[in-house]
Amino acid sequence: MQSVAEFDNVGLRYGTDAETLSDISFKLFPGSFYFLTGPSGAGKTSLLKLLYLAHRPSRGAIHMFGQDIVTMPRARLPGFRRRIGVVFQDFRLVPHLSAFDNIALPLRIAGIAERDLLGPVGEMLSWIGLTERADARPATLSGGEQQRVAIARAVIGRPELLVADEPTGNVDPDMAVRLLQLFAALNRLGTTVVVATHDIHLLQEIEGAQMVRLDKGRLSDPTGSLKYPPRPLVLRS
Amino acid sequence: MRLPFSIPDHDRRLIPDGRLAGIMPWIIAIMLFLTALSAATAIRLGYSVQANSSGLVRQATVQLLEPDPAARATDQKRIAAWLERFPGVSAVRAVPESEARQLLEPWIGSAVEDAGIPVPALIDIAFASPPDNAQLRALRIQLVRQTSNARVDTHSSWIAPLLSFLRTILWIALSVLLLLLVATAATVALSVRAALNTHRSTIEIMHMMGSTDLQVARLFQRRIALDSLFGGGLGLSAAILVLVLVGQRFSALGSGLLAGESFPIIGWLLLALIPLAVTGLAMLMARWTVLSALKRML
Repeated sequence: MQSVAEFDNVGLRYGTDAETLSDISFKLFPGSFYFLTGPSGAGKTSLLKLLYLAHRPSRGAIHMFGQDIVTMPRARLPGFRRRIGVVFQDFRLVPHLSAFDNIALPLRIAGIAERDLLGPVGEMLSWIGLTERADARPATLSGGEQQRVAIARAVIGRPELLVADEPTGNVDPDMAVRLLQLFAALNRLGTTVVVATHDIHLLQEIEGAQMVRLDKGRLSDPTGSLKYPPRPLVLRS
Repeated sequence: MRLPFSIPDHDRRLIPDGRLAGIMPWIIAIMLFLTALSAATAIRLGYSVQANSSGLVRQATVQLLEPDPAARATDQKRIAAWLERFPGVSAVRAVPESEARQLLEPWIGSAVEDAGIPVPALIDIAFASPPDNAQLRALRIQLVRQTSNARVDTHSSWIAPLLSFLRTILWIALSVLLLLLVATAATVALSVRAALNTHRSTIEIMHMMGSTDLQVARLFQRRIALDSLFGGGLGLSAAILVLVLVGQRFSALGSGLLAGESFPIIGWLLLALIPLAVTGLAMLMARWTVLSALKRML
């Protein structure tokens, strides 16, 4: 089976500093749900940045959707990025766009016609409970509302891979569960989901989710209760 | 037709327009005002050089220095008739004595009429093409055989230094024009870089969502195009106002040296094209600047 992402002995170094990530090797399979855990500074965000193609590794090989992205010309990368949805830890909403326009942004970048995006964006706004605030700008939204908009923006294009960095950090427990249910629904539709989180309670919310643990930039063996794992996480030797 | 800066409203909102609030349109207005004035100067001088080169240098005046008015009038008719048959001469006009006296009046006053001061009889001639030295020498030799008191003044002898001066000014005007275009391009590049820094976070977000470099560049191209069109229109309008005022003052001088008719229509058309050309240049600069900057991102 072709993996969504395959890391082989990957290292990442910023400038001349020591390696932030070392010897990372794993495969992510289509339709799987992964939690990425580890203490602060373990390298979770750096690993996610490699997954959503914000960086190339300093060493090692990365294949995304079967293609070698380390040597891939940068002109081809946008096409791959459109297959990936990202929830940033700091939301990164466009401050001068409304909630509607922020959510619609990936579809517009992909060239979807206006008439075809009104429905999906409206549904998404309804799902995250912000229909009444469609025209509100991020500065007028609460932290939790901004986070919901950021998540809606990440999933609106039905990405093949969804990468979320602490997606429930600013929402109340009920909303956190609802958002995870959204992720799970997407996962059932075939989207591979990777969620970086500190909240170990969330791990129990998704049946069949697997845990990937990072510590000091290195991958540990998967631990925790992996209920009904659909496919095993493959750690490469 | 969809213009390159005609993009949907939602894309416009991604990079908010600074237009009237920003400094860029006003800088472009000033640059274009100066560019249009330089271009107008170049066009006007080029037109004058061309007109004088093809007109005045083909002309000459024959003076008959005969003190006796009756003999002078007879000689004028005879020599004019002889000149009409001279090879290479395309037009001959015997200048009436009253007109000759009017020409002298600014220098020696109305006494030229009253005191009976003799004035030379004048015959204007035009050659079919600018005469060379051999042709003029032949004319002088044969003219002296017709009448010993004749003199030939070619306009080219005094127009040549003027034309040389006009050509120098023309090149200076063209150089200033070129420098202004370079300065405009540099200003646009600096402005786009500043805008890139201002909107860096938006660009990074778009980038992470799969936006191509060209999609981002188009946003800036449009913004710069609108700024350029607004500034260009303003600058050109101001320049036209100045040109019209200067033209009126210039007409009042009554000088024929700069081929003093109106500004050529082709000149107005060229001036009208300048804002469009500057807009095109600005869009190219914006595109190049954005693409160069984005290449540094993965």
